[in-house]
Amino acid sequence: MATEPTGRGPTLVVVTVIFAALAGASFFTPDYIIPSPRQMLGALVELLTLQSGDLVITAARLAAGVAAALVLGSALGGLMGVVRPVARYSKSLLFILSGVPALSWMLLAVLWFRDTETRIFFVLFVVVMPFYALNVYEGIQALPRDWTEMLEVFRPTRREVFRLLIVPHIVPYVILTTKSVSGYAIRMIVFAELIGAAVGVGARLAQAQGMFRIDRVFAWTILLVVLNFVLQGAINLVERRMLAWRPAAEIR
Amino acid sequence: MAAEPLIVMERVTKRFGGVVAVEDLCLTIGRGEIVAVVGRTGSGKSTAMQAIIGTFPVDAGRVRVAGRDPYAERRALRGQLAVAFQTDRLLPWRRTWENVAIGLEIFRVPRARREAIAREWLARVKMAGAEEKYPHELSGGMRQRASFARALAVDPAIVLLDETFSQLDELTSRELRGDFMALVRSLGKTSILITHRIDEALEVGDRVVVFGQPGHVIHEVATSPDDRSNHDRLAKLRAEIKAVMAE
Repeated sequence: MATEPTGRGPTLVVVTVIFAALAGASFFTPDYIIPSPRQMLGALVELLTLQSGDLVITAARLAAGVAAALVLGSALGGLMGVVRPVARYSKSLLFILSGVPALSWMLLAVLWFRDTETRIFFVLFVVVMPFYALNVYEGIQALPRDWTEMLEVFRPTRREVFRLLIVPHIVPYVILTTKSVSGYAIRMIVFAELIGAAVGVGARLAQAQGMFRIDRVFAWTILLVVLNFVLQGAINLVERRMLAWRPAAEIR
Repeated sequence: MAAEPLIVMERVTKRFGGVVAVEDLCLTIGRGEIVAVVGRTGSGKSTAMQAIIGTFPVDAGRVRVAGRDPYAERRALRGQLAVAFQTDRLLPWRRTWENVAIGLEIFRVPRARREAIAREWLARVKMAGAEEKYPHELSGGMRQRASFARALAVDPAIVLLDETFSQLDELTSRELRGDFMALVRSLGKTSILITHRIDEALEVGDRVVVFGQPGHVIHEVATSPDDRSNHDRLAKLRAEIKAVMAE
């Protein structure tokens, strides 16, 4: 019986195949379409030594935007879960917000806010926050009635119900949402930087494109993919620690 | 009945939409008494228990638990009641001892003290060694033992058992019933067991109350320890209850 490859093995295989395909294609195309692996590596080293600060800035913006969306979105979702009128109105508002294209938010942010950091923070927050609010709300809706009945027998306060039941119950929903939005959030922040910032990976990508430095475009892209891997790894670590109680699913 | 009444239900009626779950129910349970409530599915047994817990207000009549209205004076009965449900209802993210200690946590018992109490109760329900396990690592019987420990850990005056043993296999159910009821008796707790099994009701209760539809008492039998160990007497009582339930 063949066994499924597990762990980092498949990722390494896929990465190797992609790089081999790029290296192969670079033989048949001009450097300004697909640069050679040597050029890409050179650009990567150059960026890491000269412009790594931009990657840090992008990561910091990402952390700030996602953290704010996580805290305020989860709080709103929690409120929606326990106060029905809030849920009715907030759900409609969140559906409208999530229907607005990210590009519109970016253009509006440029018009509304003078400060670059505020623009980027606003775009990321407004795009990501509804995911947290709606998922946490759905999580509370899925709270088994049996558990609330069990707790009610001990006559807890609302605060105790929140602390002992609701918060631990929604943790998996918050982690799952973070996992789902991390890649999307990276794309959003790069777009926002591309349009409205002078520093950060998005801004550097725009610069590289303007200077026909395709090797740098590839190098920044590689760094963004690595950033996503690091982020996913960190979330997985948090997940393993916080959800240690969860049995592994076995489907045969 | 000589014992001081701890639970009083006077002409209680409860409807859910157009469905009458309990109608004109009168039931008095004395301190230290163990009462088994038996009835068919849908005869309002669980609704009566929910009314005692104070889950909802009743539509008519009066419910008093230790002299208080369990719905209107919800907080006043804090620590007086505990329930072991049909399913264990353990919280999956809490270790076994943390599940047992949840009531104590609500009552603001300091952590070291509540951990000691939880471990002691786990030992009393034969769960020593499983304190650090998560619920998914326990068998059905062990989970039910843990839920029983959770109920007793808060030292309640009243222990409600809502079909607590009905989801277990016959042997495990009998073993747990024996262990739990011996504990309840030795502690002098007032207890109500809701069940649809006549044998179980006769084995456990000082008194067996038979519910008819919609939820009201149609028959009662008192059982003594002698009755419970007398096979012929039990068979006679079983036939009597069966006949009443079939009517």
